[in-house]
Amino acid sequence: MDCLSMGNATMDPVYLDYAATTPMREEVCHAMGAYLSESFGNPSSIHRWGRIAKDALEQARDDVARAIGARSSEISFVRGGTESDNLAILGWCRAQKLEGRMPSILVTAVEHQAVLEAAMNAEKVGEAFVTKVGLSAEGGLDLDGIRESTRRGEAIVSVMWVNNEMGLTLPVHDVAEALESTGGVLHSDAAQAIGKVPVDVSESSIDLLSATGHKIYGPKGIGILFVRDGISIAPLIHGGGQEKGLRPGTEDVAGAVGFAAAIKLAIEEQEPEAIRLKSLRDHMELALSTQLVGVRINGGKWARAPHILSVGVHGIEDGNELLMALDLEGVAVSSGSACSSGGRKASHVMAALYGPDDPHATVRFSFGRRTTSQDLDRAIAATIAVVERLRRAK
Amino acid sequence: MSRVLLAMSGGVDSSVAAALLVESGHDVVGVTMKTFCYSETPSHGKTCCGLDGIADARRVAAGLGIPHYVFDVEEDFTRDVVDDFVREYARGRTPNPCVRCNSNTKFRDLMLRGRAFGCERIASGHYVRIEHAEGRSTLLRGLDQTKDQSYFLWGLPADLLPQLLFPVGGLTKGMVRARAQALGLATADKAESQEICFVPTGNYRDLLRRKLESHPALEPGQIVRRDGQVVGAHTGYASFTVGQRKGLGGGFQEPMFVLEILPDTREVVVGTQDELYQDTVLVEDLNWLGDPPRIGTDVLVQLRYRAIPTPAKVKVLDDKMILTLSEARAAVTPGQSAVVFDGDRLIGGGRITEAELTSN
Repeated sequence: MDCLSMGNATMDPVYLDYAATTPMREEVCHAMGAYLSESFGNPSSIHRWGRIAKDALEQARDDVARAIGARSSEISFVRGGTESDNLAILGWCRAQKLEGRMPSILVTAVEHQAVLEAAMNAEKVGEAFVTKVGLSAEGGLDLDGIRESTRRGEAIVSVMWVNNEMGLTLPVHDVAEALESTGGVLHSDAAQAIGKVPVDVSESSIDLLSATGHKIYGPKGIGILFVRDGISIAPLIHGGGQEKGLRPGTEDVAGAVGFAAAIKLAIEEQEPEAIRLKSLRDHMELALSTQLVGVRINGGKWARAPHILSVGVHGIEDGNELLMALDLEGVAVSSGSACSSGGRKASHVMAALYGPDDPHATVRFSFGRRTTSQDLDRAIAATIAVVERLRRAK
Repeated sequence: MSRVLLAMSGGVDSSVAAALLVESGHDVVGVTMKTFCYSETPSHGKTCCGLDGIADARRVAAGLGIPHYVFDVEEDFTRDVVDDFVREYARGRTPNPCVRCNSNTKFRDLMLRGRAFGCERIASGHYVRIEHAEGRSTLLRGLDQTKDQSYFLWGLPADLLPQLLFPVGGLTKGMVRARAQALGLATADKAESQEICFVPTGNYRDLLRRKLESHPALEPGQIVRRDGQVVGAHTGYASFTVGQRKGLGGGFQEPMFVLEILPDTREVVVGTQDELYQDTVLVEDLNWLGDPPRIGTDVLVQLRYRAIPTPAKVKVLDDKMILTLSEARAAVTPGQSAVVFDGDRLIGGGRITEAELTSN
């Protein structure tokens, strides 16, 4: 009776996991090519090879700065999003410690593990106090609470721009405003935000911003940390003084060039792409909520970025099984975070909104440049068939 | 072709099974079950037992171009297999964890996942054969007598039988290794697994101590003869199994063997080899793969893995069965399986609860 089992092997699989990672754009590959081969120099060298590489690196830095409304001196290249988050939080805490102050860290309950784990580790080794800020059911952050907690002593607040599991957009600008009176420092992980929602650091007093290349059709293993002039960050690793000593080690010139090309395109195309992605998402959201019983749109009451649709499915014990069954039907999705693996436990993000014993399995569909409405129709049909089959199987 | 869910341990048998199923045109889905984890603190755990197997299975699956997934069944496995293992030793019996796993965890889980994944068939790399004809499915001993694993499968849910495939059951181990080498499988030369998978050190007492903390089974007691004469002392009856000779101390005129373990008094009863023989076996926790045999039917009974089957008459009474062996056998052990065959055909089995000598 299962029409899906027929002939799916001949159909192309559908990738709906753009929030996990994206393919590199041709323009990005093209821009990087030369710096992987003939223009291979070390930017620190005095000779012509070095100069060519250094030029490319600084051009990339300028391009990145322009794209997000920063100054070139405020952009450091790092080796990805996790490193950027760690450097922002731990580096800022370490700088405070060096001044003899004991800092505190405020994180929202829905931050990425790179932020949460960095904060927890700082607390564990006695370098900071950590406070978690919950989310209200209506979709807000407790700004008064944040203001109060940052009034006493040195504090850094980390508020992600767009949540990776559900696509929630957090009120980063509001937090920035709230912190203006308290002197608290604001960090935002914008890995899922760039190219999906407007990201411009000149619009508010945000101090630190993290981004990564592979979520925006750039290379893996490269990211940036924006550090507003005047904010002190101590390095976490030590070496030859590259990136103003903030991130020593021979620079990944090709990666930086690729990142710059990717972020430039992502921000240029953000508005029309967001409109397109939103219409795809709304189509799938409507189809699944009307054609399946027992589904919940996760974070549905919140403001959300347009490229993520997280669905809670009732009556399925093991969410991973749902992902596997969809994979077998040629639909590639994840449960929320590609970074954490396995287990039947609700993720910390799901628990923050719906409690630790939420009886829904989670499927995260995330859309990107190559996603078509035909892809979605296939995914919708597959999801309905698989969910019904899994519910019957128990 | 039909979609098949194949249990892949990472070993050579299930790897070759995967290759054979792919060759015959099946749409194969490989799965590995993560049954337990050794590291008590996951963040510090260097090697998690079974992870090597998972990596091997993944590699073989990738080489064959089939999907591979990992199921975390640790909770079920701990409850149904490990806890049962501990409980049985605490009762002075000798458990059969592989039987428990196949009966309660592995195949039940495969059946549920298979349904969820739209698989028509469930397969494993066991050395047994299955014949599907005229609406009946018959489980037969593996062709390779030295590798036959039917003994471990008596507890399979009967309703699962029509779905099962055992691709290597008709091959010898040598043939399987040769196929693995010819296919260039990563696991071709892998050593045979012998230990109980959740006791990789071979020392199950450590596990008992950890799980039971303090328990009479781990406390000192007396070693006695059948007539009650005290002949020695032991440090915990959980270290003994019926038929065991080691660990009884010296000073006996002839070799001594464990005859029985008495948990109530913590006594280990010993005797000479002659005293080990029994011919009447009481069996409980029964499972039948088809209709239960009628009273008085002549069957073959296997009382240990690799033991030569014994002719017996069977008497099934609801949830118990009494086996009358045609000749007495040594060291029939409570907790172990009594597996019933008709020739090469596996009929069913159960757990031995008592044995005695009734003739002469």
